[in-house]
Amino acid sequence: MPVPGIPILEGKYPSTMDLYPLEAKEFNRLYQFYENLRGKRFTTTKCQKCGYVAFPPRVVCPECNSEDLEWVDLPTRGKVVYFTEEVAGVPLGFEPPLIHALIALSDGRKLVSRIINCTEGQLEEGDEVQFAVFDVPPMIIEKKGVMTEVPRVFYAFEPVKAKSK
Amino acid sequence: MPERDVCLIAGGMNKWGVREAHLLDMVQEAAKECFDDIPALKKKDVDALLFASSYCGRNSFQVNIAPIVAERMGIRPTNICTRVDTLCAGGSSAIILAAGLIKAGMADIVMVSGGEKLYTPQRWETFYSELASIDHDWDGTQGMGLPPPWFALTAKAHMKHYGTKKEQLAAVSVKNWRNGSNNPKAQFQRKITLEEAMTARPVVPPLSLYDCCPITDGCAAVILTYAEKARELTDRPLVYIRGSAQATLHSMSMNWPGEHPADWPHMRAAVKKAYENARVTPGDISVAQTHDCFTISEIIEMEELGFCKKGEGGPFVGSGQGDFGGKIPVNTDGGLLSCGHPFGATGIRQALEILRQLQGRATNQVEGAHIGLTHNLSGLNVEHTVIIYGREP
Repeated sequence: MPVPGIPILEGKYPSTMDLYPLEAKEFNRLYQFYENLRGKRFTTTKCQKCGYVAFPPRVVCPECNSEDLEWVDLPTRGKVVYFTEEVAGVPLGFEPPLIHALIALSDGRKLVSRIINCTEGQLEEGDEVQFAVFDVPPMIIEKKGVMTEVPRVFYAFEPVKAKSK
Repeated sequence: MPERDVCLIAGGMNKWGVREAHLLDMVQEAAKECFDDIPALKKKDVDALLFASSYCGRNSFQVNIAPIVAERMGIRPTNICTRVDTLCAGGSSAIILAAGLIKAGMADIVMVSGGEKLYTPQRWETFYSELASIDHDWDGTQGMGLPPPWFALTAKAHMKHYGTKKEQLAAVSVKNWRNGSNNPKAQFQRKITLEEAMTARPVVPPLSLYDCCPITDGCAAVILTYAEKARELTDRPLVYIRGSAQATLHSMSMNWPGEHPADWPHMRAAVKKAYENARVTPGDISVAQTHDCFTISEIIEMEELGFCKKGEGGPFVGSGQGDFGGKIPVNTDGGLLSCGHPFGATGIRQALEILRQLQGRATNQVEGAHIGLTHNLSGLNVEHTVIIYGREP
């Protein structure tokens, strides 16, 4: 693929311009998170020593410094507390309306996520949303001159299909 | 060596906006105005440089920029020469660090500069680089790279909890655009009407065009030194750094520390410390430059700075209490909304305006200003920085 103005980059993968994480095992000790995503699981790390559940997942417990962590499942359903619909100037890689919600997960934890599979004007505060996994472009690893594609997935939330109203 | 009192003695900035210039061109423009502001200072006596820039690595393809900045400015630092990056608050971080170095005797005359070249030949690149300014893997991937969605959530929460109105948001932009209209360095030099602010095109509802600060190229520079040296170099009233604080309680959207997005406990933590360090209370502040990246930000900042009660920021700005003739004039040079926001330069631009206010030479002068405050918010509202300046140490 030619790169206008920079012919030397033709066919190169600039990882410093990659929207998605370098999920491959060779570049990320949290690769299990992405492996779990592939199995439709929303997970994070729990400290076996002090019990602290951190998100995003860690390689060292931020509370007690233990490295003895295990993967646990997070709730995959939650309710919309606030939401916004970005209609102009959305970042490259996203389409308007770019919808974000502050979600209260069923365990009380709050997070901000993109809401996909949702049209402008569809969402309301209090709506139930669910975890969703989708494919994103593969990353490239070059080993001894050979380019290998590593498939990737990522997550967002989406409205629960059967609305209870 | 006993602790030394630290003074801000000079400053300058270049024309901010969409500039037909390289970052290093703008560095020279701002430094020239700063050196011209203090004719008695010889460049060879500047023994330290702190340069605040966040995007130089991406937008100007230049890391380790501090030695290059020193070379372009014509200074030869011998105590420290380094870059500082806390995105929107890099300039304030650098001022705090400079003050500490001077106080401890580790540097005598410090050039604190900052700037960004944010407009790239194709604009997508700047927007895309915003992915690097937040938690890339966890928030950038959710499309949170640009701040409007988060601040729209914040505005919605403030409206829901406290009844804040769109007219009150608009009052902030009308005031700050008016304050910037006679600032020759501001990105915009015109006034807007309440109607224009109310009917502008939406960005992320409830935020529309004039609720958001623009993207800006620009640089700023100030000189700090200890009080005895300041007296040698200038006949102007001395402006001391009385106190400061910088607080971060989380780094991503998952771990928001407040009850809701319009509740900013990390800002309260920084504010409390800064007031304690400066030995002042909110009522002592004569003039403030606060981080109006969005209109809702200035409203919440009035609350968290203690200028009004929590939840009363809307009526406070709506009734002109944050304006000349009100309780405290805020963003007297136009703020981020009118001046623009070249991240690393903003805290320095705020310091420059406070310097001029406390020396009685500001364009929009607050009569008798003797204690000034600057506040920077940075990132996806992950960090707050407060510096308090005074005519006495």
